[in-house]
Amino acid sequence: MLFSSITFLYYFLPLVLILYITLPFRYKNLWLLLSSLIFYAWGEPLYSILILLCILQGYLIGLRIEAARGTVRARRWLILSVILSLGTLGFVKYYDFFASNIKVLTHLPLPILSIALPLGISFYTFQILSYTVDVYWGTVKAERNLLDFTAYAILFPQLVAGPIVRYSDISHQLHQRTHSLSKIYLGSRRFIVGLGKKVLLANSFGMLCSKFDTSGDRSVLFYWVYAVAYTLQIYYDFSGYSDMAIGLGRMFGFEFMENFNYPYISKSITEFWRRWHISLSTFFRDYVYIPMGGNRVSKPRQLMNILVVWMLTGLWHGAAWNFVLWGLFFASLLILEKFVFSNWIMISKRSVLSSVLSHSYVLLAVIISFVLFRAESLGQAFLDLQGMFGLTEVPMVSQESWYYLRSYGVLLLMGAIGSTPIVKNGLLKLISTRFGETIAIILEPAILVMLLLVVTGYLVDGSFNPFLYFRF
Amino acid sequence: MGAENSDRKHKAGVIMLAVVLLLLSVINCLQPDKLLSEAERRTLKQRPFLTLDSILKKEYSDEFEEYAMDQFPYREAFRRMKAVSLYGLFREKDNNGIYLVNGFAAKLNYPLNEKSLKNAIDKFRYIYDTYLKEGSGELFSCVVPDKGYYLAEKNGYPALNYEELFQNVEEGMEYTQYIDITDCLGIEDYYRTDTHWNQVKLIPVANRLAEKMGFLEQLSNQYEESASGIPFYGVYYGQSALPLQGETIRYLTNNTTQACNVYHYETKETTLVYVTEKLKSSDPYEMYLSGADPLLTIENPQANTDKELIIFRDSFASSLALLLLEGYSKITLVDIRYIKSSILDDYIDFHNQDVLFLYSTLILNDSYSLK
Repeated sequence: MLFSSITFLYYFLPLVLILYITLPFRYKNLWLLLSSLIFYAWGEPLYSILILLCILQGYLIGLRIEAARGTVRARRWLILSVILSLGTLGFVKYYDFFASNIKVLTHLPLPILSIALPLGISFYTFQILSYTVDVYWGTVKAERNLLDFTAYAILFPQLVAGPIVRYSDISHQLHQRTHSLSKIYLGSRRFIVGLGKKVLLANSFGMLCSKFDTSGDRSVLFYWVYAVAYTLQIYYDFSGYSDMAIGLGRMFGFEFMENFNYPYISKSITEFWRRWHISLSTFFRDYVYIPMGGNRVSKPRQLMNILVVWMLTGLWHGAAWNFVLWGLFFASLLILEKFVFSNWIMISKRSVLSSVLSHSYVLLAVIISFVLFRAESLGQAFLDLQGMFGLTEVPMVSQESWYYLRSYGVLLLMGAIGSTPIVKNGLLKLISTRFGETIAIILEPAILVMLLLVVTGYLVDGSFNPFLYFRF
Repeated sequence: MGAENSDRKHKAGVIMLAVVLLLLSVINCLQPDKLLSEAERRTLKQRPFLTLDSILKKEYSDEFEEYAMDQFPYREAFRRMKAVSLYGLFREKDNNGIYLVNGFAAKLNYPLNEKSLKNAIDKFRYIYDTYLKEGSGELFSCVVPDKGYYLAEKNGYPALNYEELFQNVEEGMEYTQYIDITDCLGIEDYYRTDTHWNQVKLIPVANRLAEKMGFLEQLSNQYEESASGIPFYGVYYGQSALPLQGETIRYLTNNTTQACNVYHYETKETTLVYVTEKLKSSDPYEMYLSGADPLLTIENPQANTDKELIIFRDSFASSLALLLLEGYSKITLVDIRYIKSSILDDYIDFHNQDVLFLYSTLILNDSYSLK
């Protein structure tokens, strides 16, 4: 079920919320578990069994690891958990990719299974895996209550597209959390803002990208309009979803980690990845990069660690070579920043000109990376990049590109401004005055209501409504 | 913000959001399902039937969402809210492919679909080869420009390559005499909220056709103008979802139009040329010859000629054909979107009639409904 759907907003959510609020605390997790199961089964009826099996293995192995803590058996249980979790993910998500590549190289008659990717598997697999690793490391105690553990792993706000919530971050909240009117309001506010980002902005940019896809009148300008639109789409789509997840979590008394922090204002790729999909980058840092030795190893080994982590990050996003290349593209930039241009990165924080140059470099790199990311194949990616730099036989400007630039100009501008903290800071400044504080009492909720209604208008009109991160 | 003001805001916010969310949810669940959307002129999705199979195949969830979108309370108001924000706030230039210029709604119709155009020309060639090659009267072709011809390019909207389209038709239908009517029309000659042209503005078009087809002297051009009292909201009204003003359907009558009878082959009914009851239907433009119809004939008892005309046509011909009546004793209108070209001789005796292929650019650029 999509958050940005009439079914979720006007059937599922009101019912879940009303019952959740009225139930005593001891039944709240059970209700969350049941409603999360319905939420998941609505979109993936058959794979509901798979997610429950994954949860069960995580729960049982967590208990085993704790019981055998400090012995070699604990390590074996952990290895089993890693094999089961990554094996499942690897099979359903990567089998076809590897099989088709091996076939090309060896001509072995490997079958292509075309398995439909279970919704959210990349997210819940990592959550369950982080739990068993944390139990092994002794960071958290194993959860003894199967119901609470299942509720954690299947919690619908973050189930299908993150953020990747670690058990260690919410284990306490699972058993003891507070609910208040303020939390419900702040959660609703965050949810509606995320919904607006998704439906009004991301979907509109997505529509522009689909116009580009079907256009027979491309130009260099259109390639750039498309590239910028997709860069904004993916940001608003994913950060909007994260906002909705965080907001819903807050309404139910949970505090999830932030997943985005204005990544497009970064002045280096290193900074960009501290601001983009934070729950994923910290997962790879804590569970892959640091265990491999992180920065405390020789330079060649460090380079290898970075390349491995970023190749995995790329593969996590999809089983295709363009994702691998996407990860390695960032790895190369991170290596250059770390080992070659570290002084420049420091200087860029001091002068305006170098700051502008650094910012431009990040935006250009990110835009190029997302063109690579979105392409259906490597060939398509290179064609798109050639188009952007005038290396194909298209004119600089075409009738269609000019039209769509004008049609979506305001939206693109709003999207660009909204991806910086300018709006948020302006609003904070406004409500810091006595007058602003007073009018915000009514105006802020009224604007949220209006936003909800406008979003509803977009939804009932059957607007374009994909969720990019559902495929991961 | 002070704690007291924060509390007030949070309370106000929760109350306002809860009222909106719950009210809409409750109305949504309690209101009876509707069958039709009059504005969009389409049937609305009904609640899907729940079966284990439909759940397992994910069909139920997909169909339920479509149903939920279609049956949402105050749906038209919400669609309008979307359209207004899209045009007003985000300044997008079209909504669902419909754009507005000076109160005229038009559909983005581009680029030129050469395959579609060839498909149409091939269909017409088949008709010519099968029925007209031997023993027909004079053959004519005419393309009706859609509103985009007068609006798109000069207002910065992507436009079809109309000249190429006209040229392709002229060259591809070399067995006909091509009649250009683009200079007889302007944007004011079309309804603001609809695809179609306004019959009362079509006299110059009728005269151009009559001149080229050789019966200009028979046209009296003496008509009385009548108007419907019911506001007309065209097809773009619903598609754009904007609060556009209703228009008035006007039509031209004289002794000839009043004397003519129309025989509809499909329903085997005979009607007058103007079916005013249709003004109350979801598409009032159907008042001209009852709207979409595979095959009909108009008999003109007052004709002082025995010449006949066959028009292969789309909906634009319904209003125009009535202005050509004085030149013929019988006009047959054939819409090959609804009848196969291969069975036409089961119904029509092709014998020396004049033939006019009259198609709009909208159909030529999306011609796969032609049979």
